[in-house]
Amino acid sequence: MSAGFMVVAILLPILAGAVIPLISFKNRVWMEVYIETVVLITSVVVWCLILNRPQEAFVLFRFTGNISVSFQLDGLGSVFAGIVATLWPLATLYSFEYMKHERHERYFFLFYVVTYGVTLGIAFAEDILSLYFFYEMLTMVTVPLVMHTLTREAILASRTYLYYSIGGAAFAFIGMIFILSYGSTGDFVPGGVLDAARLGTERTNLLLVIYVLCFCGFSVKAAMFPFSAWLPKAGVAPTPVTALLHAVAVVKAGAFATMRITYYSFGTEFLKGTWAQNAVMLLTIITIIYGCSRALKETHLKRRFAWSTVSNLSYILFGVTMMSPLGLIGALAHMIFHAVMKICTFFCAGAIIYRSGREYVHQMDGMGRKMPRVFTAFTVSALALMGVPGLCGFVSKWNLAKAAVNSQNGLAYAGLAALMISALLTAIYMLTIVVRAFFPGREFDYGTLEGISDPNWQMLLPLALFVIAIVLFGLHPEPVLQVLRAIAAELH
Amino acid sequence: MSGLMILSILLPAAAGIFLLLSLVFHRQQSQAFAGAVLAVSAVLVLATAWLGGGEKSVTLFYLMEDIPIYFRVDEVGKLFATIVTVVWVAAGFYSFLYMKHEGMEQRYFGFYLLVYGILIALDFSGNMVTLYLFYELMTLCTVPLVLHNGSREAIMAALKYLFYSMCGAYMGLFGIFFLYRYCDTLTFAAGGTLNPELVNGNQGLVLAVVFVMLLGFGVKAGMLPFHAWLPTAHPVAPSPASAVLSGIIVKGGVLALIRTVYYLVGPDFLRGTWVQTAWMTIALMTVFLGSLLAYKEPVFKKRLAYSTVSQISYILFGLAVMSPEGVTGALLHTVFHAFIKSALFLTAGVFLFQCGKTRVEELKGIGKQMPVTLWCYTIVSLGLIGIPPFSGFISKWHLAQGALEANVGVFRWLGPAVLLISALLTAGYLLPVTMKGFLPGKDSTAAAEKLEPSRMMLIPLIILAALTVLLGLFPGPLVTYAGKIAASIM
Amino acid sequence: MEFVRNFPFISIILSLFSGPLSSILDRKKAKWWNMIVIGLIGAMSLAVLMYVLGTGEAYVYTMGHFTAPWGNEIRVGVLEAFMAFFFCVVMFLCMLGGIREREAEIEESKQNLYYVMINLLLSSLIALIYTNDLFTAYVFVEINTISACGLIMIKQNGRTIVAATRYMIMSLLGSGMLLLGICFLYGITGQLLMSNIQEQVHRIASEGSYHIPLLVSMGLMSIGLAIKSALYPFHGWLPDAYGYSTVSSAAILSSLVSKGYIFLLVKIFYRVIGFDIVMDSKVINVLFVFGIAGMIMGSIDAIRENNIRRMIAFSSIAQIGYIYMGFGLGTTEGVVASIYHIVSHAATKSLLFVSAAGITDVSGDSTDFFDLTGAGYRNKLAGVAFTAGSLSMIGFPIFSGFISKLLFAQAAVGHTFKMLPTLIALAISTILNTIYFMKTVIRIYTPMRKSRDREKKNTVVRMTDQPLKSAALICFILMNVILGLRSETIVLMIQNGLKMFG
Repeated sequence: MSAGFMVVAILLPILAGAVIPLISFKNRVWMEVYIETVVLITSVVVWCLILNRPQEAFVLFRFTGNISVSFQLDGLGSVFAGIVATLWPLATLYSFEYMKHERHERYFFLFYVVTYGVTLGIAFAEDILSLYFFYEMLTMVTVPLVMHTLTREAILASRTYLYYSIGGAAFAFIGMIFILSYGSTGDFVPGGVLDAARLGTERTNLLLVIYVLCFCGFSVKAAMFPFSAWLPKAGVAPTPVTALLHAVAVVKAGAFATMRITYYSFGTEFLKGTWAQNAVMLLTIITIIYGCSRALKETHLKRRFAWSTVSNLSYILFGVTMMSPLGLIGALAHMIFHAVMKICTFFCAGAIIYRSGREYVHQMDGMGRKMPRVFTAFTVSALALMGVPGLCGFVSKWNLAKAAVNSQNGLAYAGLAALMISALLTAIYMLTIVVRAFFPGREFDYGTLEGISDPNWQMLLPLALFVIAIVLFGLHPEPVLQVLRAIAAELH
Repeated sequence: MSGLMILSILLPAAAGIFLLLSLVFHRQQSQAFAGAVLAVSAVLVLATAWLGGGEKSVTLFYLMEDIPIYFRVDEVGKLFATIVTVVWVAAGFYSFLYMKHEGMEQRYFGFYLLVYGILIALDFSGNMVTLYLFYELMTLCTVPLVLHNGSREAIMAALKYLFYSMCGAYMGLFGIFFLYRYCDTLTFAAGGTLNPELVNGNQGLVLAVVFVMLLGFGVKAGMLPFHAWLPTAHPVAPSPASAVLSGIIVKGGVLALIRTVYYLVGPDFLRGTWVQTAWMTIALMTVFLGSLLAYKEPVFKKRLAYSTVSQISYILFGLAVMSPEGVTGALLHTVFHAFIKSALFLTAGVFLFQCGKTRVEELKGIGKQMPVTLWCYTIVSLGLIGIPPFSGFISKWHLAQGALEANVGVFRWLGPAVLLISALLTAGYLLPVTMKGFLPGKDSTAAAEKLEPSRMMLIPLIILAALTVLLGLFPGPLVTYAGKIAASIM
Repeated sequence: MEFVRNFPFISIILSLFSGPLSSILDRKKAKWWNMIVIGLIGAMSLAVLMYVLGTGEAYVYTMGHFTAPWGNEIRVGVLEAFMAFFFCVVMFLCMLGGIREREAEIEESKQNLYYVMINLLLSSLIALIYTNDLFTAYVFVEINTISACGLIMIKQNGRTIVAATRYMIMSLLGSGMLLLGICFLYGITGQLLMSNIQEQVHRIASEGSYHIPLLVSMGLMSIGLAIKSALYPFHGWLPDAYGYSTVSSAAILSSLVSKGYIFLLVKIFYRVIGFDIVMDSKVINVLFVFGIAGMIMGSIDAIRENNIRRMIAFSSIAQIGYIYMGFGLGTTEGVVASIYHIVSHAATKSLLFVSAAGITDVSGDSTDFFDLTGAGYRNKLAGVAFTAGSLSMIGFPIFSGFISKLLFAQAAVGHTFKMLPTLIALAISTILNTIYFMKTVIRIYTPMRKSRDREKKNTVVRMTDQPLKSAALICFILMNVILGLRSETIVLMIQNGLKMFG
């Protein structure tokens, strides 16, 4: 396919989204149809692109000299684009129903659709500057979504989100400049672009310092400790946002960026076995435990899942810091599978909040009987997050573990142990909810749950698809893994 | 043959799920359905296990490129599947009546059947990942059995059980990841599949990892230091569920340990290392402490649960000494303990069901009211203590022999000594019930009316007691069989 | 000789002499005359720029054909012409955007005076840009100072008078140091024309004599101009001067006047002393340290500030810090980045001042941070403009600020020791910028409760209500975006211009 379609896929949602408030729709349904059509067309274009990958790059415009915003679709980008393109239409469908109880829908959908384009921009970015460009854009277009309810809490959350994100980008910027100056090119090349001759041997430590800064900068979006506080706070956003953006698009963009800089810019050959690798790996390990522990303490449903996301994102980052092809496979696998699992979890939470207005864990008593479908989906996603074999969470955990065991690095072994501890904590904070919902105890009075029932098809359809995906990926992950192996194979 | 195997797993599991999902069943209908399925699948399992010769294996599908979901019927699997079937059928028929007073029978039988299917799959698992899969499912699906009565205490106990088990399972999984690298294959092979070249230079790491696995799978087997869940979780379940939990589910941990030590790592690698020493130490401590705690425990079902803690570690000790005799003893004790402990819990259920008595001191004079039950109790108790000619004696004999013949230093005599002390304690905590039951003393006011339960409940008890006697009197074939297994994996 | 060559001289004279004219004309006409003058000069500068770009080399214009050392020279290169043109554009837009406030805040009788001051200011700025004579430069620096004082003081209340006095004192201190520096230089070289001094300085440097006087002179001139352009430890006068004066004054002062001095410093570095000699001296290290300190401290002060105007003023200190840090790197790339930042900051800061006026306008003329709640909904264009300006300030791609950040960082990477401090300072400064600018942006988009809205007598302004201001704002935003997207031409121009300096 022609490379120009990449621009179509990016600009279509941006432009079509930007005009939503200007169009006068006859009624709500027409708006829904319009939005869903835009999103679906984009997704179809993206999938066509992934299946017939254009070989050449496309330059959108030049800043100065060699610095330009340009697109090129490679394996890694396809994975991220694929995740996003698959989940977005479903999440949009879900949000039609959900947003009925919020205000200013149009502005919500404006930014929701625009974000789609920007996220695709991150996936398609050919070089580090384009990545940075869309990365910053992503922050800006998602802030209004966090702010959406305009309550005091939401305003504060959006402020925190903004400070963290821009601050992270500021440090990522350092790494970008370094690559632009010392790399043979700013493009992403499997194996890295750093030019050893230009760098000189005495500057290795500088390189490592800058790598650590840059890694930390990008992983702010992936909510790595100690930069994770924004994510749970941002949970005040409407659930489709929390589910899609703060469990998938935005946070995974951070993880995606770390993959790019580690494997495609700095290059693992410079980093492997250095203190820098250990430093970032240690941070991810701490986050894995920290996120879970906070999730355990949290009683607010969405915030608990947000902390869980914090922990799970660091699974991905942990895979990245292994700096081996196997590590990348594990990280990518978890990126895909966690997306499915967590979005399912969040959609369940959203459905619960939407139908019953209950937001706290202790209010979940007996809800399993009133909303059986939602809670079945929830149980499946909980089990998957715990890493029960046969569901997709196990597959990614297995691959991460494989990478850790093969790394011959003591810290990676510790990371593996952290992964297991985290799995246990996950079991605790997820299954308590399941047990509460299905087994409230014999004295429980179901009368208090009068009027609560499963939501309509717009909400259930995405859930059903996610559950099917969780099981399918869990039982037959081989096609996905083969794609990932092909990507990792390029690294040599 | 493979079709039969799959069917024997799928039938109870599918039937269980069907029962759970269909809310329209009448009480009797659901019982009849469950009974029928149980009977049919028991036949299927036994047929799979014992009929036909040759290699019975089936690869279901590949989870990942080199990790199949793979089932194979081997000798250990057959043994475990048979025990499971016997106890499951016995406790199942017992439940039909018993569960009347617990309510929610359909849910109970649903999970009961589901767990049966899972256990059979666990026993026939041909590689470590498959085993782990069903190990986790076993934990998850037994949770509803534990919290069945829905009281706050039960729910908390169930969660405790769940989290302890998960913790153990993840410790096991941690080890599996490493074994995946250091073993040639995760498919079970007698004597182990550890690749010496890969291990060379990493012995310390592999040993540490194996130790973590031992502790992890030991959780399910109630081994120190993670035994605390067992006395909490087993007693709160309905009695037939306690019976299978204590008799069978804990054996899941034993099976996982056997598979790890004898079929993946290989006893040769562990023999004489600090891991073996540590394992034996922990096992003996558990044996002793379990008995002691049981001795002090006034609540009957809890006392039995502590007893389980102690008795399972007999098995673990047998496995830890890594001598043919020891393993033989361990396997025998697995069989005997399964029958005996189930029978004990079923009697506890009878006491509870018929007269609502839960504490040991309330059981004074119970022998007058239900002599048959108490006789069964007495027989199996004697079996557990290890008094000839009852079955427990045989296994303990082999365990002690195993310790003596193995080259394990101080444990050669310490092991048998602790086993002996523990046997005394066992007598101390089990026999008073019999004595007080039959001889309540003069001041007893207990009414002499007959409270014997109906045949539905009594027959399973009698069968299990009879098995204890029979296997004690004619242990020959079983001992030979266990010896054969032990020889094959050494 | 083409006629175009006369334009720079004509610009200066035109501006200088339209001053008296402004004072006689009546108020309305003076206003328009003033606009026309600025426009005309802008057009002429553009023509000069085109001409110089066409010929590809700088030319020297001797006034009245008296040659040096007796005559007075003007030297025109790409950079000079571009700066003159750009300053005119910004000034024009600032005047346009501040009309309403000006007419409301300044006594009617004094308004003509304002235009006189503006004319003087413009002429002195243009003269500073073009002149090839160090003493002429000094003279126009003084004119510049005085007219700037007038611009601050013209809105007569206690605060502006105090601010103007402080500004005057500090500025004169700076001018004095500059004068001293020039004297030293004259003493050791005996020349006042820039190109002549450079020859002499090179001779002296190669001989190795007068080492200390040269250093002292350089130090005095740098510090003198640094005081005048509010480099960090010498910035005390700035917040009040920018914070309380009328909008167009503040915008012009922050984006043009201080930049004029900085441009003069660039000329001194390149044209008078010679860049290699400057680089060898330790003066630039001092500037580097002060620059970085300014970047951080200015932002911290801004974060603590609750008055939006003063906050923007403090932000200027941080941005001036960026510019000096660029000089301090001691490389041509660094200077290119600094000059680009002069341009970018001028475009952005005036945008911020004008849009802030729009925002305070609909919030009951209060500059207090908490009164601004929801202002973005009451004056949509000003809100958008302020957001755009803020994004540019924090270095958001597609706006001009990003490019200057990029250039600074790229310049820093080549440096051995200054690399990491610079990069980290850039990152921290970005975060600090984000904190106060985005806090404000979010504040103006936080809705205010209806009841409070009424009680505070907030008004609503639509785009069409103030067409001139709206036009100015839109132009500013476009300018920012163009600078951000099409920066290549400008960077090239700066590079060429610097080459022509040498």
